Amino acid sequence: MFGQRRSKRNIFALATLAAGALAVTALPAQAFNVHTTDGVTPTTIKLGITIPLTGSAAPGYNKIPSAMIAYFNYVNDNGGVNGRKIQLVVKDDAYLPTLAVAKTNELILKDKVFAVIGALGTANHIAVSKSVNLGRRGVPDLFLNTGFSGFSDAKKYPSTFSLFPSYVMEAKIMGQYLKDKFPGKKLGLIYQADDFGTDALAGFKQAGTNFAVKVSYASGSQSAQTAAGWVSKLKTAGAEVVVMFGVTTASGAALATSAALGYKAQWILGSVGGDATTLKAVGVPAVVLTGAIGASFLPAPTDTSDPYVAFFQGINTKYNGGAVFDNNVLVGMNTAMMTVQALRAAGANPTQKGLIAAIESKGSTFASAGLAPLNYAKGVHVGYNGYWFGSYNSSGELKPIGGDYSVYTTDSGAGAIVKSTYVRPALPANGLPTN
Amino acid sequence: MRNLLGHSSRRFKAAITFPLIGVALFLISNRVDELRVYQGANVAVYVVAIISIILLTGYSGQISLGHGALMAVGAYAAVLSQVYWHLPVILTFVVAVLAAAGFGAILGTAAGRLTGPYLAGTTLALAVGLPSLANQFGFLGGEQGLNYDVGLPPAWLGADFTQYKWFFWISALAALIVTWISFNLLGSHYGRNWRALRSNPTAAALMGIHVGRSKVLAFTVSSGLAGLAGALLAMTISLVTPSAFPTSLSFSIVTGAVLAGVTLLTGSIVGAVVLVAIPEITGALAAHLGGSEKVTSNLPGLLTSVLLIVAVLLFPNGPQAIMKRTRKSSQ
Amino acid sequence: MGRLLNTILIGVSGGSIYSLMALALVLVWRSTRVVNFAQAGQAILSTYIGYVVITHTDNYWIAFPVALVAGALAGALIDILMVRTLMKRAHSGPVAGIAPVIATLGLLGLIRAVVGMIWGGDLRQFKLPVSNHGFTFGHNTIPFAPINLLIVVTTVVVMLIFSLIFQRTNLGLSLRASAYQPEIARLAGIRVDLTRTIGWAFAGAAGAVAGMLVTPTNYLSPNSLDLLLVSGFVAAVIGGLESLVGAAVGGLILGISLALVLEYVSSSLAFPVAFVVLIAVLLFKPSGLIGAKRTRHA
Repeated sequence: MFGQRRSKRNIFALATLAAGALAVTALPAQAFNVHTTDGVTPTTIKLGITIPLTGSAAPGYNKIPSAMIAYFNYVNDNGGVNGRKIQLVVKDDAYLPTLAVAKTNELILKDKVFAVIGALGTANHIAVSKSVNLGRRGVPDLFLNTGFSGFSDAKKYPSTFSLFPSYVMEAKIMGQYLKDKFPGKKLGLIYQADDFGTDALAGFKQAGTNFAVKVSYASGSQSAQTAAGWVSKLKTAGAEVVVMFGVTTASGAALATSAALGYKAQWILGSVGGDATTLKAVGVPAVVLTGAIGASFLPAPTDTSDPYVAFFQGINTKYNGGAVFDNNVLVGMNTAMMTVQALRAAGANPTQKGLIAAIESKGSTFASAGLAPLNYAKGVHVGYNGYWFGSYNSSGELKPIGGDYSVYTTDSGAGAIVKSTYVRPALPANGLPTN
Repeated sequence: MRNLLGHSSRRFKAAITFPLIGVALFLISNRVDELRVYQGANVAVYVVAIISIILLTGYSGQISLGHGALMAVGAYAAVLSQVYWHLPVILTFVVAVLAAAGFGAILGTAAGRLTGPYLAGTTLALAVGLPSLANQFGFLGGEQGLNYDVGLPPAWLGADFTQYKWFFWISALAALIVTWISFNLLGSHYGRNWRALRSNPTAAALMGIHVGRSKVLAFTVSSGLAGLAGALLAMTISLVTPSAFPTSLSFSIVTGAVLAGVTLLTGSIVGAVVLVAIPEITGALAAHLGGSEKVTSNLPGLLTSVLLIVAVLLFPNGPQAIMKRTRKSSQ
Repeated sequence: MGRLLNTILIGVSGGSIYSLMALALVLVWRSTRVVNFAQAGQAILSTYIGYVVITHTDNYWIAFPVALVAGALAGALIDILMVRTLMKRAHSGPVAGIAPVIATLGLLGLIRAVVGMIWGGDLRQFKLPVSNHGFTFGHNTIPFAPINLLIVVTTVVVMLIFSLIFQRTNLGLSLRASAYQPEIARLAGIRVDLTRTIGWAFAGAAGAVAGMLVTPTNYLSPNSLDLLLVSGFVAAVIGGLESLVGAAVGGLILGISLALVLEYVSSSLAFPVAFVVLIAVLLFKPSGLIGAKRTRHA
């Protein structure tokens, strides 16, 4: 009885609390928002990114935003973009779709960013695209750090521009490479049991690759113990050439464990799990990595003879506190450089619509470190579409096989695989775009 | 006699209060910006999820660290019924409740003999294991998930009625209905049985309460509500995908329930607001304080954790205890 | 036959690590009736401290005892600063069951954040104390290496030491008494608080051992022991939570089942295995394999 009386009182407490809580959260809201272009003032352009900074997906990705900011700061110190300084608002999504949506909403509705850049995570970004509905809001969604093939569908994601070649393209090109270089060998495949792996399987099917053994693993289950299971399967099947199409911690576990168990094969690492610096950090002995084959669409981050890499390394020293220069830092700076060109292309008074149109019309000519062509055109939001193959030398550097980068390109469908004749634009003077 | 009187007047008050709260919420939703409306929808989702824990833990004394998995069951049931049976949206929510309740009944029966940490361990293992199954079966859509689309708001609500406001209306209405049903349920003899069970299972059994059946019933009802919360959560991100139901989700809603006071239905709103507001507040604070990347990216986690520990240490019984204390001191 | 044997060996090397974590959880459970989710955080912190020592001395065997002591100190400190208050304020009512869960989860988040602030989120690694190259018999390399042997032996040694302490010393008697009947133990003149602090210190040390042993074959990051915590918890529950032997057996059962499922059913089924094993065991023995005779209410 006492309890019931209390609950009566509490029901009113609920009403007051509910109203109060919502009223309080409403305080910072702007009632009458004079609508100008979001995120652009005469002196600044505000951009946003959500990315895992904490949690188990954070290692590696967490280096991307500071690399972007480093390049933006360099550009800002040299006059900015048409006199505007670029600000990047960084939010941690912990690689969870719910948080990615919540944080992107904050970016767009509270921080009012002009565009979002460099998003990643298949499920995360599908959720963001659908719930936040970047397309309908007309918020440019630039240069995704992911290879899920779906995002290049400009009809479904009208404001989204993918950048990385898709996993399907990578697997297709890799399948062709296996056919050319290792005919008649017994092939093995390790792949992740999710969208990443499904795309890979689709690509290998397109290329007509037959694997003697396919081992899938649940994302996050990779460890020395599970890898021992993979290796024993590969060993039993007698695989001579093994494609490792997984994340870096998985390729690290696979390489280290195969060495420990005396299993020798020709390893071929996919681009996602092939960052030599990270592999070294997770304890893969250099001798194990030596001779393995890797694929990439960027120059190797250790290749200082590459003008882009050399320039970005300089920026890294001056503006990024000399962070370990790996693929993630290279990707971050490269994305930032492309973003600067996109903003410049959008003109002196950039609008969100204008930015999208500018990338469609001029994006394919942007200067970037990528060795594969950029494919942006009206209604085409595909970025890079090719890969080159290299082998890791004894100091863990990925060196192009045969000395120079030969890039093969294709699409995410049934299109042919062709040797590219693309020559990327030279690095702009001082790394400052003048487009 | 007094009980009877109290009971009916309680019903009467509830019959007035709930619609009033509803009207108040809808009025508020017209006054605040879109971000707050979206967050309001999330608050409502968490209210439902937290109530499911309150019924289970606060009343029947069972612990679940796997309600995230039950939310996944509800969400998948809802989206599958939409994709494959083309059910109207309102029925997909019903399917979510029924499917999760059914799953919960089986789990509750299997777990009926388990207590304390054994139940916690089993449900935690469920939270870790179940969502990953979506990558095993093609029709579940894998990591890309299945698009869960509740549709645009009806045209008569006007052109500037946003999608998020529509999400908010749906989830707020659901939360109100769930709160109202729970009030009545806890006032009924089921509620009394659960309370008896919680405080002393042996005495409850002596009083003629069927302990096992009562526990399973509590687990079933709680699971059904979790299923509804799961479908609503999927609605707010328009997608059903395994990664939307991580282990941390199960932990979050239990946290919300503790912040709510575990036995206090009305506390659920406090728990839910805290869960939604904390990431934004700590994020903003961290950005404001600045520092190196290492520091700023970990500061929100640090602040949230400290807050959590302090809250549990100082007010383990939630806001109820604070209210009681202030009431006592004011007398 | 070779395949089955190999799979079991893989299971044993994985399972023995679960056993160590389970052991740590059981130690806290026995002294406090709390499932300590912060154990993963404590182990991570100790392992990072070990990592720092290794980078300075280049010697794993100096780092190992340092990490162990650090783990014990951290455990004791947590008990004094947090658990003591928790025990006073949330000892009864429906909240008593879950308040410790939330408090230790909060602590896990706190430790992770602090570790992240100091060392960042990068993956790290330190060199193996002994080889990870599988033993070879003729031309056959088996998936069991000196490092796995080290883990198994350490688990057994740790288990024996704690069993001796619990069964043969006055401290052990106090530990058991204050866990089962704190009021009576207090009346009998046992300093219950101090005893519990010792229990937490022991657990912290055991967690540190787990961290220091699992990291050389995997890697170190603020989250790298998360999964081990869940596996350890499941192993402890399988074993019945009360028993050190149970923890060890639980770990092995889980490790071997996991290896068998991954080998013979599907290599991508890693996560549902724990649930299935747990349900299978608990359906027959609701309080674990070597649980208490009567069901205790937590």
